Formats: sequence, structure tokens, C-alpha cells
Amino acid sequence: MASLPQAPPEVGPARRPGPPAVQQVRRRRRPSGEAPPLPHHLNASGKWWLGLSGLVVVAWAVVIATRTVSVFDVVDTRVLQAIAGVRTPWLTRVAEVAGLPATPWALQFLWLANVVVLVVVRRWRHLFVWVGVFLAVALLGGSMAGALQRPRPYGVEILGPWAGFSMPSLPMLLLSAFLVSTVYSLVPAGRSRTIGKWAIGVLIVLAGLSRLYLAQDHPTDVLAGVVLGVTFALAAFRLLAPNDVFPVRYSRGRTAHLDVTGARGEAIIRALHDQLGLIANEVKPFGLAGSGGSTPLRIAVKGDPDTYVFGKLYAATHVRSDRSYKLVRTLLYGRLEDEKPYHSVRRLVQYEDYVLRLMSDAGLPVAHPLGIVEITPEREYLLVTEFFDGAREVGDAEIDDAVIDQGLSVVRRMWDVGVAHRDIKPANLLVRDGTLFLIDTAFAEVRPSPWRQAVDLANMMLVLGLRTDAARVYSRARRQFSDEEIAEAFAATRGLTMPSQLRHMLRQQGRDLHGDFLELLPYRLPPIRIQRWTWRRAGLTVATLSGLLIVVLLIVQNVLGPPL
Amino acid sequence: MRAALAGSLLAVLAGLGLSGCAGNSLSRSDTTASPVEPRCSRGDEGAAANGVILMAQSVPTASWVPCLRGALPPGWDFGGLKARDGIAQFSLTSGTDQEQVIQVRLQPSCDTRGSTEIHSDRDGMQRFERVTQTTPGFVGRRYYVFEGGCITFGFTLGPDNRGEPLALAGQVVGAVTRADLSEQVHDESDGRLSLDPVGNG
Repeated sequence: MASLPQAPPEVGPARRPGPPAVQQVRRRRRPSGEAPPLPHHLNASGKWWLGLSGLVVVAWAVVIATRTVSVFDVVDTRVLQAIAGVRTPWLTRVAEVAGLPATPWALQFLWLANVVVLVVVRRWRHLFVWVGVFLAVALLGGSMAGALQRPRPYGVEILGPWAGFSMPSLPMLLLSAFLVSTVYSLVPAGRSRTIGKWAIGVLIVLAGLSRLYLAQDHPTDVLAGVVLGVTFALAAFRLLAPNDVFPVRYSRGRTAHLDVTGARGEAIIRALHDQLGLIANEVKPFGLAGSGGSTPLRIAVKGDPDTYVFGKLYAATHVRSDRSYKLVRTLLYGRLEDEKPYHSVRRLVQYEDYVLRLMSDAGLPVAHPLGIVEITPEREYLLVTEFFDGAREVGDAEIDDAVIDQGLSVVRRMWDVGVAHRDIKPANLLVRDGTLFLIDTAFAEVRPSPWRQAVDLANMMLVLGLRTDAARVYSRARRQFSDEEIAEAFAATRGLTMPSQLRHMLRQQGRDLHGDFLELLPYRLPPIRIQRWTWRRAGLTVATLSGLLIVVLLIVQNVLGPPL
Repeated sequence: MRAALAGSLLAVLAGLGLSGCAGNSLSRSDTTASPVEPRCSRGDEGAAANGVILMAQSVPTASWVPCLRGALPPGWDFGGLKARDGIAQFSLTSGTDQEQVIQVRLQPSCDTRGSTEIHSDRDGMQRFERVTQTTPGFVGRRYYVFEGGCITFGFTLGPDNRGEPLALAGQVVGAVTRADLSEQVHDESDGRLSLDPVGNG
């Protein structure tokens, strides 16, 4: 396409807000060997269970190497024979009832009930960890039993049903893993979960005793099964779905936000002091509803007078979410622009900080960057910027010609310095005392495609038109942009190229603002194609569809059929 | 919105799919199956494999327990051992599509109605044969009935070379007595353990 004539700018660059008046003290370097502000670790009980699991594996190795399995057989048999000595008909019936949770049907029910509940409450992370735990313990337990090949108990009548080799006890392994997974995925942390842990502890003990009474397993089989099952589930949930990142709750709201109370809150305050010299005295979540990719925070700091700074807390989980988000976008829309995912939370934060500084240096009205704070190395970082106290979203603020001009000059300036914001929407444009500010540069791109630059312009015009009208915004836009540039912007922008918040607000107003702008154009350019096919997209689509097909086949073959 | 919807859909399908995969592992026939051949004797001491003992525990009344006398001939594979209370079975397969399958099953008793008794090639066992189909493939059963149990050979054979599998069943699949297995358990534990509950004869 031939280059379009550009209208000479008639409005100066956007006004730059002054830096925040925060008080800074001497920073402190963390010496080698000193723990980071928030060390990453398992809880004490997790370590205890991991230690027990290690002990089980070591015991197996020693028994196999020293050929002393008969010693264990004898001890186990004597215990079982002693238990069998107290068998009575009524006690047997009690044992059969107590052992019900460890039966295949009960386990199947427990599993499917969890899946249904987790799907209904849309707790995907917990569901995937659940599935992972299930697969891991089932495969590991089956493989170990096949490798160790321990027969069922000798010298005592087995009263209950059983299947396969006995070490470790697969029913107890699965029951323990399932119950712990249930508690960690369905029961909120705190008192409820503590009660839940005691309840499942009782269930596991009763089921284990039942299996010993009925002589279905050896005592060491039950012990090994419980230790491995609890450890796997505990470690998986604490590492992959930690409660402070993915809390179990049944109230509305996003669950991807980190809990900034307790140890993390203290770590943030300490880290701000050490790494940026900021004296913070309060850390509070702020504007969670508008943020899914990080945990936004308002941090009260000492200043002249005391003021606030803004923090965006990023964790490894946000990087994974970003990865999934970009994969889905690639599948659905192709390569609209750079959709390559970040590979570490450090890179993500570094990039956002860089773009923010670039825009700040270019005189764009963005928040002053104050630096990056490390909370947990490679896992959690805090990006700290100026806080626009008292500012309102552009959708709620009074919009006059000066604000419209500022918004349009922001786009013009971005074009001049070669960046695109890529997420121009009401939530990212704030107004305070007649000054417009641009926030959230996480999606910004350096040297974007001309198409993406054009989309920024159209989205800015649409946002500014929300509280005014198309004719007014268009007339102001013509002071900074040519008709050709505006026509290109609206040829590039439609449907999914608009942020969902903007689309939602346009629908709410019931106005065809996009159509109004098109009517004002002296001529229209043909719509720019946004579906781009690449070999990568084709490959990913084929791989995803193949995966889905396999999944459907697995569902048909396994879930729909009754357990054997 | 569409992305979120698609993500949710993928998550549900993947979750259910994996649940299906894992769900089947709950079925006792899968996770509890053993890929190790139940040899009649192994090592220098000639002791039966633990899989054979497990089969004996499946049917506590059985006086004979099936096992494999030696290595399978080329082209034949062991299809896994599944043992549970009341029944134990293993299978031998041949061919890329498993055209030839021999299934060996130990149960407390068999329904031999409709089958024909023929001269037995195994001591202490009665032999029955029942042919269900001869063309295009061969489908039939062979029963060995003995005190407290029954071993069933199920044949599902392709149209070609059906004589080999029938011979294989007789040559490779053997049986050990319960008494021998009891003695093995007794000896390995230095006389401290017995296979069956004391007092069960």
C-alpha cells in the first residue's frame, strides 16, 4: 500500500505529569546467602511427608538389595493373624462398611464428583492439578506394585475383595491422594480445611484398619500407600496450586490475584525499603476487577506529604496464564502481531518496566516508573510506579476538547516514537484535573505494525466518543490526523481488535459509535484482513484438534463405561 | 470473550479426557495388571514366580495353578497377568493385530455344559473341549477341571496356522500344584509362613 499523506500536527505533545513526591532512604543490598524477602518453600508438614516418602522408597531398596522381604512378610503376617484372632461376624460387617471408601466404585464416585464440582465452579487450575495427581499416583502405584510383585498376605483368610499385587496398597494410595486433593481443591483454607484434614484422616485410618482386619493388604502396604498418596497430593497442590495464589473460595471475583496479607505483605514492605528505599506502611489490593494478568496494589509510602505508589505484583502463575492466553489467541486469530509468550516472570516484568521507561522518556503521560522489586527470585516481582491518586476512568470522567486533544496527541506521539499501546480501553485512560494519563503498558510493543498503530487510533477515538459523540471527536482528530489516517484506522478496527471492555461499553450504550465514525469519513478503505494463517498457527491448530480428538476418544472409552 | 470460552472448553475437555484416561486406571483390570510372566520356575532354586503365588491366592481352593514353563517362542507376546479374588488370568498373543490370542484363566469352577470330554494330557485333571467357530477363524475353549478349580484356555485364532497356537497351549502353559507353592512359601520364610491359613488343610 502506498504511504498515506500525513496531516501536520496542530496540537503539541501530551503534557507530562510531574514525578511523585515520595521520600526515599538509603537502599540496602542483600548479601550473599541471605534469604530473599519471601523465600519459596513447602510447609513443614509437606517436608515431613516428603521425608516419609523417601523413607518408604529407601526401605524398598534396602529390602530388595538385602533379600529380607521375608522378615517383613513374617512381621506383617503376625500382625494380621493377631487381628484375625478377634474377628466376629458383626465386626466383619463394620469393617466392610469402614472399607467402602477404598472400593473402586467409591473412588470413581469421589473422582467424578470432584471433576464435576471443579468444572461447575470453574476452578481449572485445581482441576488440572487433581488430574495430574490422579495420573501420577495411579501410574506410579501400578508400576511399583508390578515391580515389587508382593503377593497378598499369607497364612490368613482374606475376607474382602482385592486385585493385583499388594505393595503399595493401591486402594489406600488412591484414597489418600483423592481425599487430600478434595480437601485442597474444594475446602477453603483455614478452620474449614483443618477440620477437613482431620475428617479425611479419620476416614483413611478407618479404611486402613478395615483392610487390615479383612486381610486385604499387609500393614506395610497400607502404610506405604497412605504415605505416598498423601505426599503426592500435598506436594502437588502446595507447589502447583498454592493457596495464596489460587485460594479456594466460593465468593465471586478473580482467583488469579495473590494474597498480600501476612508474610507476603511484610515481605513487600521489607523489599520496598531494601531495594527502592521506599518506606511503605500499607499494601492493599487495588482495582482487582480490571486486572487479570497481575495483582495491582496501592501502597502507602512516606513522602511530603505521605502519598501512594502503584505496584503490579507478578508471579510465575501469571506467566503461565499469559502463555495459555497467547496460545488461544494464536489459534483463534492467527498472528495479529507478536504473540510469543514470556518464559519467565523476570522477563515479563523487565519488559513492562522497559516499555514504561521508553514511553516516559518519550514524554507520554504514563506513570513514572520507580523500579522493580524482587519478592521471591524467579517467582515473584513487583513493578512499582507512580500512583494517580484521585484519577477517574475516562468512561466516568468529564470529557472536554482538551482531554480529547490529549488522547489523540498520545496516539500521535506513540506513532512518532514507534510504539503501540495495544490495549487502549476506558480502564487504561485516567483523567485527573483535566489531564489524561495512559496506564498499563504490559501489552505495548516497540516498532509495531502499521495496522496495530492504526488500531490504537481508532480505539482511542472510540473511547473518547463514549462520553461525547463521534462528530466532536472526529473534528478534533482531523487537527492531528489526516482523513486517510483516520480511514485506515477504522478499516483496521472492528470486532475483536477492540478490547472487550470497550466493546462491552459500546453495546451497553446501544450506539453504533463505530458506524457513526464511518459515516463521517469522506471515503472508506476496504477492511484490513485480521485473520493471518502461518505454518505455526496451522501446526498448533492441527496439534490441538488432534489432542481434542484423542481426549474425546478417551472420554468415550473410559469415562462413559462402568469400572470393572 | 471467545478466547476465554475456548479456553474453558479446552480445559473441560482436557480435564474430562484425562479423567477418562485416569478413570480407567481405577478399574481393577488395568492398574493392577502385571506385565511380568508367571513362570513355573525361575532362578537356580526353581521357585515359581510371585505371579503364580498370586494366582493361587485368587482361588484358594485350587489344587493346581497355571504358569509358563519357559520363554515364549518368537512371535508370541505375554499379554499381562490379572489376578483378583475369585479369578486370575493371563494371555498370550501373536501377530501385529493380535490375530492369535490364547487366554488362560483360573477359576474355582467352570461351566462345561455343551463341551466334550476327551482324554486328558495332564495328570489329575479332566479335559473338556468346546469349539464355537471354525471358519474363518477358530474360536474354542479347553477346560481342565481338577479338585477345587478349573483352568480354561480360550482360543481366538486367525485362519492361518492355527495348529501352532493349539500346540503352544499344551507345551508352554504348564501348571504347578498348590502343595508345591505352599512348600515354596514355607521354605522361603524358614518355616515361619504358610501360603494358606493354618487349618485350611
